Amino acid sequence: MLDRELAEEVLRAARSRGGAFAELFVEERFGVSVRFDDGKVEELTTGTDRGAGVRVGHGTSFGYAYSNRLDRDSLLQAAAAAAASVTENGAGDVVAFRSLEPPVVHEATRDAASTGSADKVAWVREADDAARSHSPEVRQVTAVYGDSLQRVLIAASDGRWVEETRPRVRLVVSVVAGRDGNIQTGFHGPAGLAGLEFLETHPPSETALVAAERAVTMLDARPAPAGEMTAVLAPGMGGVLFHEAVGHPLEADIVDKEASVYRGRVGERLASEIVNGVDDATVPNAWGSFSFDDEGAPAQRTPLFDDGVLRGWLYDRLRAEKDGAPSSGNGRRQSYAHPPIPRMTNTYILDGTSSTEELISSTERGVYVTALAGGQTNPASGDFVFGCSEAYLIENGEKRHPVRGANLIGRAIEVMSHVDGLANDFDIWPGICGKDGQSVPVGSGSPTLRIARITIGGTG
Amino acid sequence: MTRDLNDLAAVAVAAARDGEAVEAYAEESRHTDVEARKGEVEGLTSAESRGVGVRLIVGGRLGFAYAADPSDDEIVATVERARENATLGTEDENNVLADASEYEPIEGLFFDEQAAMPADEKVSLALQVERVAVSSDPNVGKVEQCGFGDAIGRVAIASTTGVSAEFRRTGCWCVAVTLAERDGDTQTGFSFQVAHRAADLDPDAVAREAAERAARMLGAVKPQTQRVPVLLDPFAASSFLGVLAGALSAESVQKGRSLFADLVGERVGADVFTLVDDGRLLEGPAAAPFDDEGVPAGRTDLIGGGVLNGFLHNTYTARRGSTTSTGNASRAGYRSTPGVGATNFYVQPGSVSFESLLAKADGGVLIQDVSGVHSGANPISGEFSVGATGLRIAGGALGEPVREMTIASTLPDMLKSVAAVGSDLRFFSSVGTPSILIGEMTLAGV
Repeated sequence: MLDRELAEEVLRAARSRGGAFAELFVEERFGVSVRFDDGKVEELTTGTDRGAGVRVGHGTSFGYAYSNRLDRDSLLQAAAAAAASVTENGAGDVVAFRSLEPPVVHEATRDAASTGSADKVAWVREADDAARSHSPEVRQVTAVYGDSLQRVLIAASDGRWVEETRPRVRLVVSVVAGRDGNIQTGFHGPAGLAGLEFLETHPPSETALVAAERAVTMLDARPAPAGEMTAVLAPGMGGVLFHEAVGHPLEADIVDKEASVYRGRVGERLASEIVNGVDDATVPNAWGSFSFDDEGAPAQRTPLFDDGVLRGWLYDRLRAEKDGAPSSGNGRRQSYAHPPIPRMTNTYILDGTSSTEELISSTERGVYVTALAGGQTNPASGDFVFGCSEAYLIENGEKRHPVRGANLIGRAIEVMSHVDGLANDFDIWPGICGKDGQSVPVGSGSPTLRIARITIGGTG
Repeated sequence: MTRDLNDLAAVAVAAARDGEAVEAYAEESRHTDVEARKGEVEGLTSAESRGVGVRLIVGGRLGFAYAADPSDDEIVATVERARENATLGTEDENNVLADASEYEPIEGLFFDEQAAMPADEKVSLALQVERVAVSSDPNVGKVEQCGFGDAIGRVAIASTTGVSAEFRRTGCWCVAVTLAERDGDTQTGFSFQVAHRAADLDPDAVAREAAERAARMLGAVKPQTQRVPVLLDPFAASSFLGVLAGALSAESVQKGRSLFADLVGERVGADVFTLVDDGRLLEGPAAAPFDDEGVPAGRTDLIGGGVLNGFLHNTYTARRGSTTSTGNASRAGYRSTPGVGATNFYVQPGSVSFESLLAKADGGVLIQDVSGVHSGANPISGEFSVGATGLRIAGGALGEPVREMTIASTLPDMLKSVAAVGSDLRFFSSVGTPSILIGEMTLAGV
């Protein structure tokens, strides 16, 4: 993507005033997306993007400059801009480059670019057909297919030279169902760091059926109850909660800013002793996986909780160097237009020993949550709120009617300490995580998980 | 040699063949973002980018392609990709480009002084915000985020239908998120201000407000569930505007995804409630002389005195709905096609001061922050249940802080129970609202 001589020249320019290190991130991205909505192909887009970002680190501070031009002048100009914030301290060194071998390779067998757009259009049509034929109550279907091929090059003044190609594919279906004046929505969107073979194991019609069933089921929903009760979360959903409420405050920049409820508490039991949690970029072909992070650190599996005991933080390079710790391979960025920051990859709670049936049948009164709509969390206090897009009432150990408008409200440490059951039916959900204006693909996983006591905000 | 945006757009338009309609949206921007912490610059990001997005329509079929910083050859290749994509599109007679129309430039949108602002002045503004934020309250000693940023942008649109439009704009902002701590309790406070040039920002006010909003939440308790008057401050009220903007887009209406679909001409809110979209409003950060397909921007009274007047339209939805575009074509940059989006979208301020609103809301709660609106509100049914934090109101003054509670209602019910609208209009990004007093709502706590 860039020859080594020019990369070295740019890094030397970036270190002209000193600083702890300089880094060059070059990216090319090619993508196709098809949006099928309202019964027609609404949009078919092909795009090419490229650009480079130069970063100079000094302490936990940095200067960053980017451009979508890759010529020598533009790169040297970016290097000068990135260096400008460094206090002059003599030029820094650039070590001879050595290519790093990936610790894990995510095999993709069917290159998305080898397939014409006609097939991609056919897949979204298939999804639309499947959802509409599920029920006459399905009123509207949106199916979005997207693939992208991201090529990155990371070169840094410590000699690291990393090249990686990341293929991604996703098919998302949203369904609106209606009955009289009642309107409900359902959503499903599997995704992977993979080639088109991913759609063979995740056929568009099946994705559409899940979304359609969800919307139609929720037409029967009654208002959710309010108050403190038990919650049983379906496979993957506990992972979404874990990601938002626990994962974010474990990101080292949040900890460094003293804005984390977990700060200074490594080694303490801050979750129920049945909780074992990790962040793991090595899960084969998972949406949040990679071979190297966006700073060129190898992908790894990082323990977060062992038997409920907090183990450590999710590090990028700046914060790791400040703490004298190794990077955990969590330095990620949305694109060349963003400096890397600590981010999660695939974050999950490991399997337990119960079964879903046991967890529900031993619940006197509560909600069974099968889909979360996303949520918000305050890492400083641990307060969080999650909307449930599909949930059911549990009464006397039995799953009853669906409920709508349910919110899960609580505080991270308290709620994780109230986890009293984990099944052995682990699943991982793809999502897009936003932080500081940057969106990155992540996975969130868990088995069926029970929280003995949590506040449900409902309208019933 | 850098090509001018108008030239880039012209290359795309010239590549059109007979029977094809081609539009090029060319955009370039520069921005700087300075983050300050502990008296030092934590991060300084400077950026430049440009790109072109091409829409091509032939026989009612639409294709789109984009490219970052393209050469002339790459633009021609981008048009070719859009052409290939069009062959797979669904034929739709409403796929048309906007017609050429005259637009009035807006004075005061672009400031040379902002475009030329030296980096060290941006740095000192960011440092100033942090310095004031950590020194204005004894319980606020640090910040989660503090900074200054600016953006200088230029857009040029050209098409085979004769659109030829360009404008440039400067924008800047100050932001502060503070942390207040006392007895093991941590609370955060947020403040934000936007303007077209730095001279119109008040960084000290942003810093002090963020500190005050964090400090006053210390010691918050979870309240008993109760039905009380609820006063939404502009921060909290603005969280609901995004959902309203989505529901008032003609795109949502035509696709059966709006709770307002069949309600034009009917009462959807209290008579004190007026909701406006005004693309030319200079105080709004989204101000522009024309929308993202070159149609002149203007003012649309969506809800006037509680009555629904209509929806936001781009060229496509207008033609499909047999009406005219309201100038609300909206793109997320050159990488996307124009959908329908709000510009400066705001609740028309009333004449009631914040103090009088407090007096009217006696025994109720001032909500200063709501969370989970995007996940907790259903834009189609209008039902929502969101987390909230705020302060009790007693004797016309603010009292004990409360947290970990939820408000659940529906948007139609909430709009109809608006009892008073304050005079304190304030913009957050491109949505603005004054404080709004809602008659009574259920606050779910313990």
